[in-house]
Amino acid sequence: MVREEAKQAPEDSQQPNKAETSQNVDNLFSPRFKSVAAMAGWDEEALIIASLVVEDTPDRQQSKQKKRSDSIFNTPPCTSSRRKRRAQRTPLNLDEEQEVPKEEGEKESMEQRIVVEDEKNSKANEPALHCMDKLREELSCAICLDICFEPSTTPCGHSFCKKCLRSAADKCGKRCPKCRQLIGNGRSCTVNTVLWNTIQLLFPKEVETRKAIAADALNSKEAFECQSPQSGTRSTRTTRTRTRTRVENHENQALAARLQREDLSRLVNTDTNMTRRRGDPNQDNNAASARLQRGNDLSRLVRTGRRRGTPSQDEDAALALRLQREEFMEAFRGSSGHEGNEQTRIPLALARANLRAMASRAINRGRAV
Amino acid sequence: MMIGGGRSSSSSSTATAAGGTWVSTTSVSASGKRIQREMSELNADPPPHCSAAPKGDNLFHWVATIIGPPGTPYQGGIFFLDIAFPSDYPFQPPKVVFKTRIYHCNVDAAGNLSLDILKDSWSPALTISKVLTAIRSIFSNPDPYSPLTSGVARLYLADKAKHDEIASEWTLRFAK
Repeated sequence: MVREEAKQAPEDSQQPNKAETSQNVDNLFSPRFKSVAAMAGWDEEALIIASLVVEDTPDRQQSKQKKRSDSIFNTPPCTSSRRKRRAQRTPLNLDEEQEVPKEEGEKESMEQRIVVEDEKNSKANEPALHCMDKLREELSCAICLDICFEPSTTPCGHSFCKKCLRSAADKCGKRCPKCRQLIGNGRSCTVNTVLWNTIQLLFPKEVETRKAIAADALNSKEAFECQSPQSGTRSTRTTRTRTRTRVENHENQALAARLQREDLSRLVNTDTNMTRRRGDPNQDNNAASARLQRGNDLSRLVRTGRRRGTPSQDEDAALALRLQREEFMEAFRGSSGHEGNEQTRIPLALARANLRAMASRAINRGRAV
Repeated sequence: MMIGGGRSSSSSSTATAAGGTWVSTTSVSASGKRIQREMSELNADPPPHCSAAPKGDNLFHWVATIIGPPGTPYQGGIFFLDIAFPSDYPFQPPKVVFKTRIYHCNVDAAGNLSLDILKDSWSPALTISKVLTAIRSIFSNPDPYSPLTSGVARLYLADKAKHDEIASEWTLRFAK
């Protein structure tokens, strides 16, 4: 370490000396120093800042010690830092013969060197972030300005999201959005697997969110297609099955809400009726079982309809209408009947729920087909 | 323009005949995202002597300013522009109109611009930042061979000094 310092001392002194004599940035460092500094990855600004820091430091001895201890604690023992230090030394050696060593300058230069090292240490993870930003910029699609999702590369070598490139080819003609070269048919674009895998490795989070969005968009699109019969016929079998479950979920939720509402209204009805008249509980039980029986019949009907193949839309409409009528009648009878004990009510509600669910499923199926 | 409305109608079962709106809904949200991205990029790294931001709540309607580049008769003038993004941006060019009067052969009295990249040469890889830079470049290099105001173009070709004089006069009058 002592030998190193001695070796470095002379050429280090050049900087503060020069800074004193000249204010000009260009004159601050010799061209050779600059060129090698550039090779070592130093930019001019950092060098200037470093030299300014040296000049501004009031108590050199003290700060030197402090900085040194800091750098000792902060420096991770990695090879890159050693490499940096080596690179740092080489440029300084170059101008050795040109400079006259000075006692005063020696101290300052030591200081400067340490400050620079210190800065490098504190910025140790900054280059990584900067690098990521650069990569992000490099790997983003010029059309959506997002990270390329399923990148497709044009014959001229530019990459875009497959979807973006396709839309661009559809709407803006068959030219590369970047260089305007003819790119043939944008329809037949393929995913650049290497690039796509790289992107997935580098930006897993972004890719994941994009995937989720894409899946969501696809699903809602399918749901919509399912709802409109004309477009639904165009969708493939697999999408139909997937959407059916989705739609069913929606329907079931709506159904549950409706059932709850109706049950409440029925409860109110029965309450009011209960005060008016009281009938015999057996009769009510009979009515309930009759209703259940009907429910079974209907479910069988639905099932047979399904087994038969795809029921026509008219059939479904008729079925829905019938179910609704039944429901209405049931509700009416329920209100004309009376308190109905809890044991019969619960299976009754269940049967109704099942019935409705099956009916709606049948209807949806009919629409989808 | 239906930004939020389209999506809600598509999810409700009543919108059966709205097959066309679905497509536009996706593109609107995609273009909205891209415009938002451009906005943040413009904030982070604006092109020299230019600025642009949405006018109000509507992301698709921006206002931009360009400061006349030094060394031109437009020097020091602040020129306001209106930018309207189409719903299928970036696949269609934005509509850019000068709101400040300018004596320029490529800008007509209504503020319309004749700039190839805003018409046939538009590419989805272009951004507002690049468009503003291009507009700024026609300040210093007018194109008198594809003019919107032929009188100005003729004067520019015949007597550039006179042209510059009038242009700086207009800049003083309208853009300062």
